[in-house]
Amino acid sequence: MSAPSTVRTGPAPTPARGTSAGRPRKHRGWRQRFGHPAFYLFPLPALVVYVIFFAVPTVQAFQYAVTDWDGYSAGYRSVGLDNFEQLARGDDLFVNAMTNSLKFMLVVVVFQTLFSLVLASMLLRNSRSSTLLRAVFFLPTILSSVSVAFVWKFIYDPNFGLANSALKSVGLDSLTSSFLGDEGKAIYFLAITQVWFHTGQMMVIFIAGLQQIPRELYEAAAIDGVGRWQRFRHVTWPMIAPATGIVIAYTTIQSFKAFDLVLGLGGNPPQGSLDILSTRIYTSFADSRFGYAAAESIVFMAVIALVTLIQRRTVKLTQSGA
Amino acid sequence: MGSRIGRRALLGVYTALVLIPLLVMFAGSFKTTSDLFSNPFSLPEEWQFGNYGEVLGSADMGTAFTNSALVTACSVTLTLLLASLAAYGLARIPGWPGWVLYGFLVLGMSVPAQANMIPQFVLFDVLGLTDSLAGLVLINIVSTLPVAVFILAGFMRTLPREIYEAAALDGVGPWRTYRSIALPLSLPSLAATAIFLLVIHWNELLYPLLFINDPDKRTLPLALLNFQGEFLTNYPLLFTGVVVASLPLVVGYIFLQRFFIAGMTAGSVKE
Amino acid sequence: MTEHSRPSGPSRRRLLRAAVAGGTVATAAACAGPGTTRGPRPGTGAPSDVPPPVSGRATDHISFAHWRAEDKKILGELIDDFTRRNPGSKVRQDISPAQDYQANALQRLKNGSIGDVLTAFRGAQFADMLKAGLFTELSAQTFADEYLPHYSRGGRDEAGRLFGLPYQLVFPMPLANRDLLEKAGYDKAPQNWDAYLDLCDKLKSRGKVPLAWPGAEPGNAGQLFNAMVMNNAPGDDACARIASGKAKVTDDWFLKVLDQYAQLRPFVQQKAGGTQVEPAQQMFAKGTAAMLATGSYHMAAVRQLGAKFPIELVPPITVDKGERPRYVGTHNATFILGVNAAGKHSTTALRFIEYLSDPAVAGRYANGTAQHLTVAGVTYKDKDLRDTQHWLERRTMLAPRYQIEDIDMLNAVEGACAKVLTGTSAGKAAEAAQRVVDQRRPG
Repeated sequence: MSAPSTVRTGPAPTPARGTSAGRPRKHRGWRQRFGHPAFYLFPLPALVVYVIFFAVPTVQAFQYAVTDWDGYSAGYRSVGLDNFEQLARGDDLFVNAMTNSLKFMLVVVVFQTLFSLVLASMLLRNSRSSTLLRAVFFLPTILSSVSVAFVWKFIYDPNFGLANSALKSVGLDSLTSSFLGDEGKAIYFLAITQVWFHTGQMMVIFIAGLQQIPRELYEAAAIDGVGRWQRFRHVTWPMIAPATGIVIAYTTIQSFKAFDLVLGLGGNPPQGSLDILSTRIYTSFADSRFGYAAAESIVFMAVIALVTLIQRRTVKLTQSGA
Repeated sequence: MGSRIGRRALLGVYTALVLIPLLVMFAGSFKTTSDLFSNPFSLPEEWQFGNYGEVLGSADMGTAFTNSALVTACSVTLTLLLASLAAYGLARIPGWPGWVLYGFLVLGMSVPAQANMIPQFVLFDVLGLTDSLAGLVLINIVSTLPVAVFILAGFMRTLPREIYEAAALDGVGPWRTYRSIALPLSLPSLAATAIFLLVIHWNELLYPLLFINDPDKRTLPLALLNFQGEFLTNYPLLFTGVVVASLPLVVGYIFLQRFFIAGMTAGSVKE
Repeated sequence: MTEHSRPSGPSRRRLLRAAVAGGTVATAAACAGPGTTRGPRPGTGAPSDVPPPVSGRATDHISFAHWRAEDKKILGELIDDFTRRNPGSKVRQDISPAQDYQANALQRLKNGSIGDVLTAFRGAQFADMLKAGLFTELSAQTFADEYLPHYSRGGRDEAGRLFGLPYQLVFPMPLANRDLLEKAGYDKAPQNWDAYLDLCDKLKSRGKVPLAWPGAEPGNAGQLFNAMVMNNAPGDDACARIASGKAKVTDDWFLKVLDQYAQLRPFVQQKAGGTQVEPAQQMFAKGTAAMLATGSYHMAAVRQLGAKFPIELVPPITVDKGERPRYVGTHNATFILGVNAAGKHSTTALRFIEYLSDPAVAGRYANGTAQHLTVAGVTYKDKDLRDTQHWLERRTMLAPRYQIEDIDMLNAVEGACAKVLTGTSAGKAAEAAQRVVDQRRPG
């Protein structure tokens, strides 16, 4: 936002660009490097609101990460980096939540992306049935997590739940499970619910992405006589790169922040096998350890940033390798 | 041919998986509590329509409905406006400044809501924005700006550069380029973002819970809490509330879906 | 229980002193009849700090902040009645869900925008809110005399001063289907551990699940802990000692608790670790399970699910045959009513609590919500409440789980019990829990 200060010295910006011949060279260089000054006015309203009502309060909150503030008392002590040190060295619960979050994220990202992409590409035509199915698949997204949790409690119930009855009825008794009570696998069952809950939302993004692919590309591919898979691999996949990027990154963040659903299915605070980073942070807040929770939040953000970055790289590699 | 059957089978299975839990909920809204608990997966023993009467008849729900509609409509529109402006600007600012500003805005997505909740509450309280619908709209905008910018900028970056260059050559200024080129071309992604925002704002619970005391300013998710007790949750009534509260979203979705279709006819894919 | 394992130390003495001090206060309060003007209690040294008994009329609009959405209707009726008796006054209910009450309501309570009359859970939440200065002292209020004296402990500070009145009385111990117990040959609840296991055995051989236990939901699964600990703990403050590091989860007495949990393994439903509270209630209500390991607060829910049989509370008594149990059950006095120190309408707020403390009004609330209350002289009309009313007079322990105020510690300790019940070895579970307790202790 400090950038436009350089501009003020120059002449008032004119919309026309082709007439730049008469301009001082220096100015033209700036413009080539940093764009039309008016472009900076576009994000300005958003930035102002965001800084005042989001960024500043967030920084204020994060300042407590080096204190032992409990969240309500008038006073607190500065504890330096103790909170971070404890997180790094001696907090089984945080490590457990981190492991769970990563497992959960991995499963959710892979399946939610895959399902939403497959569904989106199957329902791209505007036939009556596709339109209807798109709406149906979107439905779970609009429900409250309380009701989603309630229904899935009865699906997962080990004694008279739908899942075990269905498995038994097709003779797969060996696969019956205590689901959310199975300490090693509970987090994956939670992931299934999350995928069920949000796939429709991501499908919407893919539909938007797929629609921006120019038809000519497919026509060209048809002339060349490429197969279905090849066409997907070399036309669709690279062309929906932005949509894929959005879906993967958003799914990642959504899975890290999944919260109501975990409390609904795992209790509050949730059992250890279902505790993820967001519920861990919430518990720290509820436990009146605001300072510690702020430190956990910072680590949380760092982890998301790192994971998103790695994903970006990976996706880029597959998409450019076409 | 085989693949077509495969496609049908796949869609059929997925439809069933989606619909079964939904039907449990829907049927649940016509059941008694004990019927719901003992036979969650069957049709109601006796159809109870009273829940709908109770939900639709209560004045609280009516007020909450109006408030939610108002807050959601304003929040979605304003967020879209601010975010599309920002996304357009950020997509057109070349080099690192664009990326830095983008990163700064988008970073907000990864902040856990509980982390900045208390300072935000204090700020809104000082400014007299608690207990007001305008305050709710503002906090909704702020909390979803990052995701809206993220989605819209992602799409706007992919609009071909040549279009912008041609516009510039024709002497079209940045504002008109935004209005008459960038926006119409981004219609599918705007619709997708609007759907996202619609769902988020309509179901938002945390901020109303924190900011609203006045019963006349309660939103739907707050009203639904009345069915959710400490030890005794009235699930049939809750489900009824959820069904009723979801209907506007279904309508909103169907309305916005048109813009996908509009995007299609603008010329793109055949399968 | 062997005598040498009984710990002694400064903390135990301090707690004992505090208990004695609390007792004297209670006795003093009981002696001073309603209407007497109260002086400061001896020994507190700050007489002028105690707000005097309420005088003046209730004419303001106040907010009552609580988390009991299921009580909204009956409270609404009571509020209408209160408003009729106090023209000009108005009471608004501000309901937050129980799980968000502290996280979200605290800020609003602090600036006085809601909760002229406020509520707190017993334990950590009351302690936190007290520390935040949210409660007005009630020691001098005459309506405090309406309460059964021994249930007020949860509303006092360490010096024994009264800041809140625990209103609801719950018995966090298993519900039992009396018909099924009688058929298994137990007209009376088993009074020792062998008898308890024998009861479970008999129930199981009759094809019943002896104990439905909602293992997937820690908050409810943990209630069993209270009864399992009450007679095993080497002192009333044993759990507080675990929290403060003076005792360990790996101590002998706790390992014994864990062993007894292990003995319950065959008697809970299959794959119990995955059972949520609603399905567990359902098993009990349908008569598939003979007992439900939660607490009296679920009686109303179970009735709503269609249970017709008589219900009794049957906690496991963990002592050996012939040994006399110290406690026959556990209770918790919670939903602590208080007056917000940041509120502007304390007269109306006090009058409203005074109103709720009236035995006739309390009776309407109790019967309307199917809960016991700490108010003395309440007439219980609800059959379940009458059937279990005798517990008010019995020797029950204040639920020990709430002595562990740190949520993570509590979860770890109770979690160890749950894990043992679903198959983990006692030693391993105890060690993992102790690690978390150590990590959570400051310093």
